Amino acid sequence: MSAHAATADHSSHDHHDDHGHHHEPGFWSKYVFSTDHKMIGIQYGITAMLFLLFGFYLMMVMRWSIAYPHEPLPGWMDWVFTDNWKARWLQDGKVTGDTYNMFGAMHGTIMVFLGVVPLGFGAFGNYVTPLQIGAVDMAFPKLNMLSYWVYLLGGLIMIGSFFMESGSAKSGWTNYSPLAGFADGQIVNQWLAGQTQWLIGLVCLITSSLLGSVNFVTTIINLRARGMTWMRLPFFVWAMLVTGFLLLLAFPPLEAAGIMQLVDRVFHSSFFLPSGLFTKSDGLVQISGGGSPLLFQHLFWFLGHPEVYVLLLPAFACVAEIIPANTRRPMWGYKSMVYGVIVLGFLSFVVWAHHMYMTGMGPAISTWFQITTVLISIPSVVLLTALMISLWGGSIRFTPPMIWACAFIPMFGIGGLTGLPLAFNLADLHLHDTYYVIGHFHYVVAPGILFAFFGGVHHWYPKITGRYMSKTLNHLHFWPTLICMNTLFFPMLTQGMAGFHRRWYNGGDAYLAKALDSANVFGTTVREHIDLNILMSRSAWIMALFQIPFIVNLILSYVRGKKVESDNPWNATTLEWATPTPPGHGNFTFDVAVYRGPYEYSQPDSDKDYTPQWEKPKTDAPVIAEPAPVAHH
Amino acid sequence: MEIPYIFTPRKDTGMCNSKIAIWLFLASEVMLFGGFFSSYVYLRLGADYPWPERALPVMPGLINTFVLIFSSVTVVFAWVSLKLRKWGMFQIYMAITVLCAAIFMGLKAIEYNVKFHHQAVRLSDYTILEGHLDHIEGITDKKGHEVEADVIHVKVNKLTFSTVRFHKPWVEEMIRQAEVNKATITLGSPLKIEGQEVPSGTALTVSLLNQIKKNHLASRSNNAEVRTEALRDAWVTEKAKVGNEGKQGWQMASNVNIDMDAIAGQLKVETSSIVFQVTPPTELWFPQRDIKEGATQSKLRDDTVIDGEMLESPVAFHNLDAIDFRYVVMKAEEKGIDPEKAIENTWLIKNNEEAREAWEWNKEQMVILQEELTKGYGLDKNGKPNREPTLTERYRIGWQDFAAKAEKVNKGHEAFNMKEQFMGPNYEHRAPAHTFPHLHIPRELVFLSGKFTPAWNTYYAIYFTMTFLHGLHVIGGAIVLSYYLFRGKKMYQTNPEWLANRVEVGGLFWHFVDLVWIFLFPILYLM
Repeated sequence: MSAHAATADHSSHDHHDDHGHHHEPGFWSKYVFSTDHKMIGIQYGITAMLFLLFGFYLMMVMRWSIAYPHEPLPGWMDWVFTDNWKARWLQDGKVTGDTYNMFGAMHGTIMVFLGVVPLGFGAFGNYVTPLQIGAVDMAFPKLNMLSYWVYLLGGLIMIGSFFMESGSAKSGWTNYSPLAGFADGQIVNQWLAGQTQWLIGLVCLITSSLLGSVNFVTTIINLRARGMTWMRLPFFVWAMLVTGFLLLLAFPPLEAAGIMQLVDRVFHSSFFLPSGLFTKSDGLVQISGGGSPLLFQHLFWFLGHPEVYVLLLPAFACVAEIIPANTRRPMWGYKSMVYGVIVLGFLSFVVWAHHMYMTGMGPAISTWFQITTVLISIPSVVLLTALMISLWGGSIRFTPPMIWACAFIPMFGIGGLTGLPLAFNLADLHLHDTYYVIGHFHYVVAPGILFAFFGGVHHWYPKITGRYMSKTLNHLHFWPTLICMNTLFFPMLTQGMAGFHRRWYNGGDAYLAKALDSANVFGTTVREHIDLNILMSRSAWIMALFQIPFIVNLILSYVRGKKVESDNPWNATTLEWATPTPPGHGNFTFDVAVYRGPYEYSQPDSDKDYTPQWEKPKTDAPVIAEPAPVAHH
Repeated sequence: MEIPYIFTPRKDTGMCNSKIAIWLFLASEVMLFGGFFSSYVYLRLGADYPWPERALPVMPGLINTFVLIFSSVTVVFAWVSLKLRKWGMFQIYMAITVLCAAIFMGLKAIEYNVKFHHQAVRLSDYTILEGHLDHIEGITDKKGHEVEADVIHVKVNKLTFSTVRFHKPWVEEMIRQAEVNKATITLGSPLKIEGQEVPSGTALTVSLLNQIKKNHLASRSNNAEVRTEALRDAWVTEKAKVGNEGKQGWQMASNVNIDMDAIAGQLKVETSSIVFQVTPPTELWFPQRDIKEGATQSKLRDDTVIDGEMLESPVAFHNLDAIDFRYVVMKAEEKGIDPEKAIENTWLIKNNEEAREAWEWNKEQMVILQEELTKGYGLDKNGKPNREPTLTERYRIGWQDFAAKAEKVNKGHEAFNMKEQFMGPNYEHRAPAHTFPHLHIPRELVFLSGKFTPAWNTYYAIYFTMTFLHGLHVIGGAIVLSYYLFRGKKMYQTNPEWLANRVEVGGLFWHFVDLVWIFLFPILYLM
């Protein structure tokens, strides 16, 4: 009996685990303190999506302040706060500079560290990776659980800081010293200052991702099913492997920086504080000095740049699974993609200081980082091109995941291409810290990465729940989101080139008075571009409205969605579709063996248009490297 | 369901899961400590003050190095014992390993403790002084100990607290001190809280402040709501005006104002600060780190404003055990001034007889030292000596030098015992006479004062951060190894190979901890 046939009808019989002693875990150990990678993946997913929603909300408030700086927050936005909070942080209902800074810092932090990374690496990675390599679970299930809880703890600490007397962190998501070293200095017990809480939260998140990445890499190296050789790994797994290494090696220097900044704040040291520092309130600050603000930036961006690829690679991973399954042809350039992603991983460690051209590092260092930055665009383009060419000559099915994947390619393309001018330090002199930068990386992250994740949710939802998500609701979600994303982020590029600074809390309003003064050229420029703020803000709010169909879809499809016809509803080739739906504890109900590469669609020797990895070769076909069985323990 | 390769290696990768995981974890740890080591290099190369070379007593660090190396060997023996299935041997070797960890942490604790009780002061002319402070007679903290002479004294007549920010322990401390001085702190002007009158003259208590705070927050919330509504109405009115169609917000903003007369009736009184009188004006003291002092008005970090004359608040050294002029020299060289002149112009040399004597003695010693060096290392072809005294020898007068001076021996020839190598000078034993000078420094000359903590300079900051983090690793490792020692018996009986695998993984971590220390010791103690 072929392995494929073995998986066909297990929905009809109870699947016991290998040992026969089957005991049903209780509610707490099944849903809350679960060690099953699939449940942990779902926990990560739900938590991360809630954080994304919260980060989105912070952004909506900020966009109000940018578009209508003189008007009080409308009732539909300010009901979230308590009266006391509003009285403390809003001025006559208007967003103040401090509050804007707070929201800006936390929007960035939440979106990056609490939203996108956990969603991509934690949720998709956890759910899909062990399934795709044919493993029973992660190598260290308890560590996996711990990793989720430490992440949640870090997230709650960060959110909790909103309600402290000091408010949350407000020095930007990059938390540069000396600004961040002094923020909340009036708080006597520094452990209770928002800025300190940010650091503590961050240390938790780093610990969590460290545990996670050790687990992922070990799992991928050691728990592959027999026959799952390196070049038979789905691209998804390759991307997760590289992401794991990036997290493992790039995060610790930020942890070092975080610890040093913590010591600066709590024990008044001067790691990042130079001698002779003056502040408006204190005059010459009585600290030892002798430290270096630039050191913090180096350590931060040593993480910060690989972090960009930690965000990005899981998105590529999702799209790389969706596209072959929906074009019914093998992925174009699988090997180039694998090598590309490895090169990308290596190069991402040597480009960090392109975030620091304006710090006065000197032209020699800038030139070096400019070269490496331009180099790294090569593997990125290889990945994107391979995905694009994979569409060529395919028989494309515009299923919900495919729509998102198709939108991902051009949107991410815009994000990537707008990055090129920033790589050159001369162009960056003009564009640094303007809305152009914001537009650039939001194109990468929002319509790029998040679109890929929406696609991923639609792609694996049938495996997780046994039901499809609604196509109609998806269209209602997709099209408005696509349009709004562009009307939101494209004007940022224009504004940025006009010189709009990224941290103006009133969207440039302060410069308008000068517009009336005819000699002030900058005021006139601001005048010409400021009305774009209203278009952008309205796009953001409308986009928020059209996320509701997605949320409804996500919940409603669980009970009302169309049931899947088989365990492999997309007729895909990778191993996760060989499991029962939903997969039970231990995942597979047959002895997994892999016989071929990951994307064998429309093979000439097959009577179907897909040949799953677990399907045995026909006896008359030449057997290529029949995997030798490896003894299990 | 069972996870494969828990302790048996997989054939094609040749490793079991835990082995892969520990190497990955150690790679990550290398990056963490790599971050700190790079920071050390960066800070040291970029330091704009004389980096304290060889500032720490070498002996404890050296002993700790050997202790850790020894424990790295015993942990391997423990693993071998398990492989040979000798449980008793395993117990002995593992116990020795854990004991070494305890010795290491014990020495570390002593080192830290000495620093936390050692005062350092930087004067505004860059002279650095180290030693131990006087205790001020008759002034005690809340535990009843006399406070050290590094506090700010203010004759307070008025205190203004910030309603939302006041720091409870500080208020309690002020009340305590006033009680000791038989003074009263009372409310300056009457207040209304929830309709009830609080008369002026009510004594300061934390609960009174809390009541005022609660009342203030309620009024603040109310007022914010009223004003927000009024502003919203004003905008609605403005937008509806003829001629404003199609105008953007910024074009109308200057016309939009809250109609204060209309809402006056709805507003409640906010009390953002509360004034208290101190009668009679009395002397209170504040830790210098918490206060921004001024001649007639000072401010605490919680925004409490203190009205009153600042009294003499000198930093008083009981034993001055080091005078360091290296920073003075560095600054003088930057300005192109002769270093010796700059030193002789410092406040310390001009005003303190003992310090001047020590400086003169040190200069004589340099002549002697130069002779010795010339004798030992000879002259180069230009007739210049091959070796000269280091900056530290020339411009730092340490406690060994004070001791040598008192014993009338040459610099570097004094005798000190093992305990002194750990703990610093034994003052009573060494100094019946004035071996270590007494010194009073007026507050206005002090730029920075404190113990040897991370706040003292970036060297101590990175020293404490790195060694503390390393210490945490030692503790973590010791806990894991003790777990194998005390809880491993059962696993040894059922699956000795698995336990051996665990000990191997733990041992790898232990080697890493040892390795980190082998890097830390030279860069912090020797270089």
